[in-house]
Amino acid sequence: MTLPEALAAYLSAFWNAPVTVENVSRIPGGASRETYSFDAVREGGERRGLILRRDPVGSLIDTDRATEFLAYQSFQDLAPVPEPVVLEEGVTVLERPFFIMGRVDGGKASSPFAYKPYDPHAEAVGRSLFQILGRIARTDPAGLPIATAFAAPPLDACWRRELDYWEGVILRDERHPQPIARAALRRLRANPPPPAQKLSVVHGDYRSGNFLHDGQGRILAILDWEMAHLGDPLEDLAWCLDPLWGHFDEDRAAGTLPRAEAIAAWEGESGLIADPAALAWWSLFNSVKGQAIWTTSGKTFVEAGCRDLVLGFSGTYPARRHDKIIADQLERLVATENWA
Amino acid sequence: MTPTAPELLGGCVVALATPPRPEEMGPFMAGTVGVAALLDMLAAQECATGAATRVWENAALRALLTEAAGAYDAKLDGALASAGKVGDGDYSLAALDTANAELRRRLIRLHEAVEAAIDTGLDRRILALYRDMAARRELQLPPMPG
Repeated sequence: MTLPEALAAYLSAFWNAPVTVENVSRIPGGASRETYSFDAVREGGERRGLILRRDPVGSLIDTDRATEFLAYQSFQDLAPVPEPVVLEEGVTVLERPFFIMGRVDGGKASSPFAYKPYDPHAEAVGRSLFQILGRIARTDPAGLPIATAFAAPPLDACWRRELDYWEGVILRDERHPQPIARAALRRLRANPPPPAQKLSVVHGDYRSGNFLHDGQGRILAILDWEMAHLGDPLEDLAWCLDPLWGHFDEDRAAGTLPRAEAIAAWEGESGLIADPAALAWWSLFNSVKGQAIWTTSGKTFVEAGCRDLVLGFSGTYPARRHDKIIADQLERLVATENWA
Repeated sequence: MTPTAPELLGGCVVALATPPRPEEMGPFMAGTVGVAALLDMLAAQECATGAATRVWENAALRALLTEAAGAYDAKLDGALASAGKVGDGDYSLAALDTANAELRRRLIRLHEAVEAAIDTGLDRRILALYRDMAARRELQLPPMPG
């Protein structure tokens, strides 16, 4: 059975009405899921644009499809996100677990390594990007569907839980000793941040490249919530500010606004304070978290037969760049911020 | 260790030589070709400068480790003075990486000992070395449209 036939069979049963499927096209990018765009056409000609996110064969990347689906349910009325349609965690005619969501037409996700992707509307994109993140930070997770998937950590333990997890990933997956990442891990543990101001839903990968924009300064959808969890809202802010996502522009956060304006936009919408010392901790942490992701990507690329080129790229270029970003932060924090 | 140049280029061969399924013919295949082109460029940089970078880093690590031996070798079971004997083999990238892994393991142990001793001067030197090591290994991307 071809993929269009399998999708038609599944949706016909799901909606209890005949469905045909047209224009199936795999979307490039992303290593954790196979992503396909398609049109579902019901009797009478009603056409609906949908996205299939299916687990890949022999997936070695540890992400949770249910988390992403619950995030879309949680933020339907709070932030621009696709409409979740169905989550299927069993084995069906589509062979592997998947979920389907509504397709958001008329936008594109820019490569995080493109040059000035948002110009001439970079400031408008940046203002929306950091305001939406502030809105996510402000939202009380209690009562949201995604809150059912996670235990709420104490405010003073958010940092430790994340650091423990990503340290474990580096120690598990490194194929070559990484003295820079190891030094950063020790320094992060020795100089912990203050407790979180509040508990928030943390997107986990909120950055340039993970949203759709219309080319005119408007953000249409925030995507890729599969690493979402409950934690300190500064985690997302620092990840979005990481120089890796800056489009080679040291003066603009995520290639959009000056850093101070980006932080002000987030503070204004969230009602929270981005304490510089706390933000410095989360910035170094996020660069280490990035290095952990690239470490796993490189290992997975090699162990899976070097077939997934996105994993090969992720395990190479950002890994080298994040080592430099970590080393620069370490030197500065020890020299000027009195880190032990 | 990041994937080696042969691993990256081998991946490009596999990806480009595998016939795509019908639903992969459009944007997905175009994306695959684009990533393959970037990996070719990264592999070319690694072939051009990878050996020189590793020879420099291994020499810098040997120098630092042997210099620190007087103060720290007793705590580290002689791992520092003997670092000078960790050779670069036949200077292939594989041999240089094998030596580099051994030297980096010893550097991690030294830095842990330096931090425990609150040896500020040597700590700052190691942090500066990290900065230089990372800078020399950075790879460059071409300006790409959004």
